[in-house]
Amino acid sequence: MTGRERSSEHWDEAEFRGVFLQHYSRIVAILIRLLGDRSCAEEMANDAFWRLYRQPALQVDGNIGGWLYRTATNLGIDALRASSRRRQYEEDAGGSRDEGENTSPLEDLLREERCYRVRAVLSSIKPAQAQLLILRSSGLSYKELADALNVKMSSIGTMLNRAEEEFRSRYLALHPNEEEEL
Amino acid sequence: MTCIHDGNLRLYLDGELAGTELAEVTEHLASCAECLARLEKVRTARAETEAVLATLAPTADDVAINPAMAYAQFTSQFATDRDPKTWINRLLAPSWRPVWGLAMLALIIAILVSVSPVRVLAQRLLAMLRVQKIQVVTIDPTTLMSGSEPDSRPYKLFNQFVADNVVVTMDPGKPQVVSNLTTAAQLVGYPIRMIGSLGAPHRIEVNDETAFQMTINRDRVTTLLDEIGRSDINVPESLNGALIAVHIPKTVISMYGDCPVRERYVNSNSESQALAERKMERMANIKDTNCTYLIQAPSPTVSVPPDLNMSDIAEAALELAGMTPAEARSFCQTVDWSSTLVVPIPRNSSSYETVTVDGVEGTLITETLSQGNRYSLLWIKNGVIHSLAGHGNSSDALSLAASLR
Repeated sequence: MTGRERSSEHWDEAEFRGVFLQHYSRIVAILIRLLGDRSCAEEMANDAFWRLYRQPALQVDGNIGGWLYRTATNLGIDALRASSRRRQYEEDAGGSRDEGENTSPLEDLLREERCYRVRAVLSSIKPAQAQLLILRSSGLSYKELADALNVKMSSIGTMLNRAEEEFRSRYLALHPNEEEEL
Repeated sequence: MTCIHDGNLRLYLDGELAGTELAEVTEHLASCAECLARLEKVRTARAETEAVLATLAPTADDVAINPAMAYAQFTSQFATDRDPKTWINRLLAPSWRPVWGLAMLALIIAILVSVSPVRVLAQRLLAMLRVQKIQVVTIDPTTLMSGSEPDSRPYKLFNQFVADNVVVTMDPGKPQVVSNLTTAAQLVGYPIRMIGSLGAPHRIEVNDETAFQMTINRDRVTTLLDEIGRSDINVPESLNGALIAVHIPKTVISMYGDCPVRERYVNSNSESQALAERKMERMANIKDTNCTYLIQAPSPTVSVPPDLNMSDIAEAALELAGMTPAEARSFCQTVDWSSTLVVPIPRNSSSYETVTVDGVEGTLITETLSQGNRYSLLWIKNGVIHSLAGHGNSSDALSLAASLR
């Protein structure tokens, strides 16, 4: 691209900026899904990019996007599981929401409640499955999923089916009254 | 064909099958009720899970994410972590004055140098600038930066700005002291000159490569200008989010005579300690009249986004340095910003002339100080910037330069 050599010692700054600009929005959007909080998501995205910055060898390796999605979702899922363990998440999520402009407070509350349940289930299944589900639901292609999870594209179908099965059975076990919704 | 397993049914549903695989699955599904039923199960499971997970999709007010802004914040946060202040302070410290031919260079280039669009080679390629000639511009030292005491408000503001926005990506660390010029030349990879008439240098320092970058946040620049009472200066829009990266190759400073060993490499933790150091350095500067420096530095390279119009920035910077808008504009029009190092000198205490030195055209700057004149002779030979600085008048400088070998 630049004709300059790609070093495994330190990042080419322009290269790094390009990577940042290319992936940042999507990473933040994925983390918002996982964490439900914009500023937490941004902080965590920065953390992921900071880790990337300290791994300049990746610019030679090539699979930067995959590495970023993997790292960011790992961080997000770790945080989700930790907060779920502390049982603090409910209060945090419930308390921090401002009332929306176009929706009623009741709708917001219901939506919030539902998000909480989805996240609780995501934090209860295997992290790798949660990762797959959140990435697919954020719109990653099979190719991108394969890069992020270091698996073959042909095995993604089976992995998705299993993860969904796991997710659905947990979701129904935790919230049996919602069966009609599913 | 045997029945299709769920994984492949899923691939089929997600449109990830192609060619013969797709044809086989389609054909089989047409004739196998069992597989068709499983396909529907997979389809339902997918739809239901997707619907539940879609609850988590960001709301409308979360959507407007600005990566360029985020990058600026990222680099400044990262700058705080890396604590680049020590190096930048070194660059800005008054103790650098005797070697300002070099020291100012990095900073001034970062602020002033520009690029012509002709140099744009490819879409994502950053323009690389190299210094090929030197041009002097006189500025009014009573305005920001040029004459500021280290403790004054503008200086502090500027320092803060630099600390927040400049990321040092290659910190040269302490200079390496070497015993002779041959060793120095081996370390840096280009020939090192010697001032013949002064004999062997008393001290040779090799500075490692240095690189830093800044991402310009237009709002912060505007705020800074407002705070120092220069809201009249217009900061070009094109500047916002621009990343300017400066790389300075290894440099060699040879010192002849009684040169004070500089304290600038000592990291000072407290403000008072720093102040005490500066006082000592000022005293040392008065005594160092017997000291001559020869600095050799290959041209730094500056990378800026290709679409950045830095001539505008140069204008703003020169206005900041005390030029009238008309002066700044006419000066900027005479400069090829892609290859010129602009050296600002104080208008009332310095003068400059163009001289022939080392077989090329050079710039001789003379500064009148209370303890006598000080000169700085700058020229570029074989891609290496030379700066000869010492006390005396212009003829002293030229005769020393004539004895270079």
